Amino acid sequence: MFYREAGQFKTTYISDQELFPVKQDRWGILLIIGFSFIVIPLIANDYWLQAILIPFLIFSLAALGLNILTGYAGQLSLGTGGFMAVGAYSCYKLVTIFPETNVILLILVSGFFSAGIGLIFGIPSLKIKGFYLAVATLAAQFFFEWLFGRVKWFYNYNDSGAIEVPVRKFFDIAVTGPIATAQTRYVVVLCIVTFLALIAVNIVRGRIGRAWMAIRDMDIAAELIGIRPLTTKLIAFAISSYYAGVAGALFVFAYLGSAEVEVFDINISFEILFMIIIGGLGSISGAFLGAAFIVLIPILITNLPRMLGMPINAATVEHFNFMILGALIVLFLIFEPHGLAKIWTIMREKLRVWPFPY
Amino acid sequence: MERKIGETLLGVEHISLSFGGVKALTDISFNIREKEVFAIIGPNGAGKTSMLNVINGFYHPQQGEIHFKGLHRKQMRPHEAAVQGIARTFQNVALFKGMSTLNNIMAGRNLKMKTNLFWQALYYGPARTEEMINREYVEDIIDFLEIQSIRRTPVGKLPYGLQKRVELGRALAMAPELLLLDEPMAGMNIEEKQDMCRFIIDINEQYGTTIVLIEHDMGVVMDLSERLIVLDYGRKIAEGTPDEIRGNQVVIDAYLGVAHTN
Ligand SMILES: Nc1ncnc2c1ncn2[C@@H]1O[C@H](COP(=O)(O)OP(=O)(O)OP(=O)(O)O)[C@@H](O)[C@H]1O
Ligand SMILES: [Mg+2]
Repeated sequence: MFYREAGQFKTTYISDQELFPVKQDRWGILLIIGFSFIVIPLIANDYWLQAILIPFLIFSLAALGLNILTGYAGQLSLGTGGFMAVGAYSCYKLVTIFPETNVILLILVSGFFSAGIGLIFGIPSLKIKGFYLAVATLAAQFFFEWLFGRVKWFYNYNDSGAIEVPVRKFFDIAVTGPIATAQTRYVVVLCIVTFLALIAVNIVRGRIGRAWMAIRDMDIAAELIGIRPLTTKLIAFAISSYYAGVAGALFVFAYLGSAEVEVFDINISFEILFMIIIGGLGSISGAFLGAAFIVLIPILITNLPRMLGMPINAATVEHFNFMILGALIVLFLIFEPHGLAKIWTIMREKLRVWPFPY
Repeated sequence: MERKIGETLLGVEHISLSFGGVKALTDISFNIREKEVFAIIGPNGAGKTSMLNVINGFYHPQQGEIHFKGLHRKQMRPHEAAVQGIARTFQNVALFKGMSTLNNIMAGRNLKMKTNLFWQALYYGPARTEEMINREYVEDIIDFLEIQSIRRTPVGKLPYGLQKRVELGRALAMAPELLLLDEPMAGMNIEEKQDMCRFIIDINEQYGTTIVLIEHDMGVVMDLSERLIVLDYGRKIAEGTPDEIRGNQVVIDAYLGVAHTN
């Protein structure tokens, strides 16, 4: 009864174009943002931050990037892991070459390297589509896995072959490295993800977002109304890869602490693709819902039986995880291609007219 | 009619187009003048759609030339045709199915919108102003086509007749000088047809848009168009006013399927 548009008439197109036209939505989002920024750092313990919230946010960012490319612009990519690796390794090089420079800035800059790489791998998209394009992006995946594993310069000739995140401070607080607290890292990740998510929301609701969707839905008609297919797709590749790159940098710098190139293997590309399928193709909130879902499932499978007093071992957890994910993806693809985000919208529509649906 | 027909807007000169062995168009020439409603008729497979595809740069003819607004060209990209002010609708609706009516028509404003990625990302300043100006333009079209109530509906969910209307809206959003309509009334009932006729007349009279119309319903063609050409097997077999065409024996034969001698 309280979730209503009644009395909220839109008198100008500007207010009609607001992000969240329903007041309750606006408050809801502000509430979530306020809660994440203020309450969570105060009450969440290290396990919650390190095992759930930080990876959730980073995966959301990567999923957001892929959703721009695949969900909005309709270009299927299996190269997400590769683009994330480019972000992570360029961030590592930047941080070691410019030790005095603010690490948060460098994380944001490293995204531009993967954006450039994404641009190059986007060029074939003018000629090839769908499955074949996916195969071309797979080339990016394997090439960068090979490159960063082989060329020692990228990991500064460390004996371990891994990139070790050095301690970097921001106003005397350690932001990265072994001594950075989970709280700090969480807040840094949250700031970056919130900022980039807002930018994504703005882009998709304007001219560029419409051009992406037009190319996705009917490229011939899009061209006939003056949308340039190649430029439009390349912008999608660049922006999408930027997001993947920043996510990759955060994955190592704010989450893992040290990593070898294997963490960016093909599995992570698929995992992120599953997130947007389950969360909802072509939806910003879908990226977050999908990431939450996929981060939480294995945790639930591990903890639920334990709480019920019958713990299961790690291998079984993994099997269950695959089975449940597989089944869900098939179900979503068949019954709700727009994913959790769509289900949420439907529920909201119902709520809007409840309890008098007519 | 107070509208005055002007100079030649589009000239088609000796266009021939073939696909492999299939000759879709053979040596077609005609002129379309500013502000007129010009019809292309002919039996199925005559080459009408192919003709439109040539005009807006989607097909590249093997021979012949086109001039539009005094500019000659042998070939161009669909994008360039759009920039020059040519818009069209399709025989089989080609809308952006996953987008709302509003976004489909807003997409038609794409060429009029210029703000860069930076402002787009902030959705502020010039980007916001530009969005609002174009939104107002689009709302006028929505009012004109009487589709206010489906503004937010994904077009894939609309009935066929409304989809055709939205597609017309998207073409109008480009503020074209030349509007190509490929069977805009196919598959519609009488009322929908009447609405569509009214829209076409109003577009032509209010905005002064030149219109090329492909239509099978002869009654509609006779009512709307000032001049027309008749295609049959990729050739132009007649050109003239509706009255002239009505009595033309060659045309009657083509429609009745009399055996071809050439
Ligand atoms: N892309 C294409 N490839 C091959 N042949 C084509 C192509 N487009 C059109 N044709 C052929 O060109 C000829 C003319 O087709 P077109 O679609 O222009 O006819 P039309 O007059 O629009 O017919 P209809 O009234 O059925 O829409 C047909 O023989 C068709 O098969
Ligand atoms: Mg046709």
